[in-house]
Amino acid sequence: MVSGETRNALTELRRGVLEYCVLSVLRHRESYAFEIVRNLSGAGELLTSEGTIYPLLARLRRDELVTTTWRESEAGPPRRYYRLTDAGRRALAAFVDDWGRFRTAVDALLAGTAREGT
Amino acid sequence: MNADALVSDYLGRLEAASWPLPPERRTELAGEVREHIEAALSEAGSRDEVTVRNVLERLGRPEEIVAGEAGAAPNAPVVSVNVGPSMGRVGAVEIAAILLLTLGAFLLPLIGPVIGLVFVWLSSAWSTRVKVIVTAIVLAVVIIPILGLLAARTM
Repeated sequence: MVSGETRNALTELRRGVLEYCVLSVLRHRESYAFEIVRNLSGAGELLTSEGTIYPLLARLRRDELVTTTWRESEAGPPRRYYRLTDAGRRALAAFVDDWGRFRTAVDALLAGTAREGT
Repeated sequence: MNADALVSDYLGRLEAASWPLPPERRTELAGEVREHIEAALSEAGSRDEVTVRNVLERLGRPEEIVAGEAGAAPNAPVVSVNVGPSMGRVGAVEIAAILLLTLGAFLLPLIGPVIGLVFVWLSSAWSTRVKVIVTAIVLAVVIIPILGLLAARTM
């Protein structure tokens, strides 16, 4: 039961954070979905089911945090490239600030827990 | 099952699971996932059964992908089972819309259905297609006859 709850907590965390990880992947250059997935899976834990990137990207498009352009690819069908909008850049910057504070607070509490050996 | 059959089986499950989505998004998502599978297979450089199974496994269950569309929890059903496709998650807005369009038409002629339509368009549970259909029906059944009556009365 406990391990199940931990899994749920991780799922919730992932869901909250993944969107900003995608924005972060796009911060220097535009990219297409499959390449974004590869960049995220480099980070390990983040994307457990690759297919869930598509609903996420659709939401980012709807929220106008990214814009897209179709481009020809060397092989295969044209690809939809994603690029950060100004709003996306602002959302990412805000999250980076929030995340720093969040992580510091949680780390401080958890460090205490670890010392007590629970 | 051979490799191609595995892929079409997966895409079939995705199509079945994605019925609550708006039609355009449903088609788009199917295309995105199909291309993902193609990209992953050409990256792997093989289309044998084991490779295909791994690619599909990494994609995750179709139901899980669709659940992400609604912003719902992956293990929660996107919509409850007993309601039709036009009735996503029925909340206060939807109930208000239905009451205004039915009872409201008698209690508050013209104004009731008009406010009802506003609620219909405010709903996040109903797709645009449903909203357009409801609006057309209300215009035809409720508002036009009432306007006709009012016009007849003033003549």
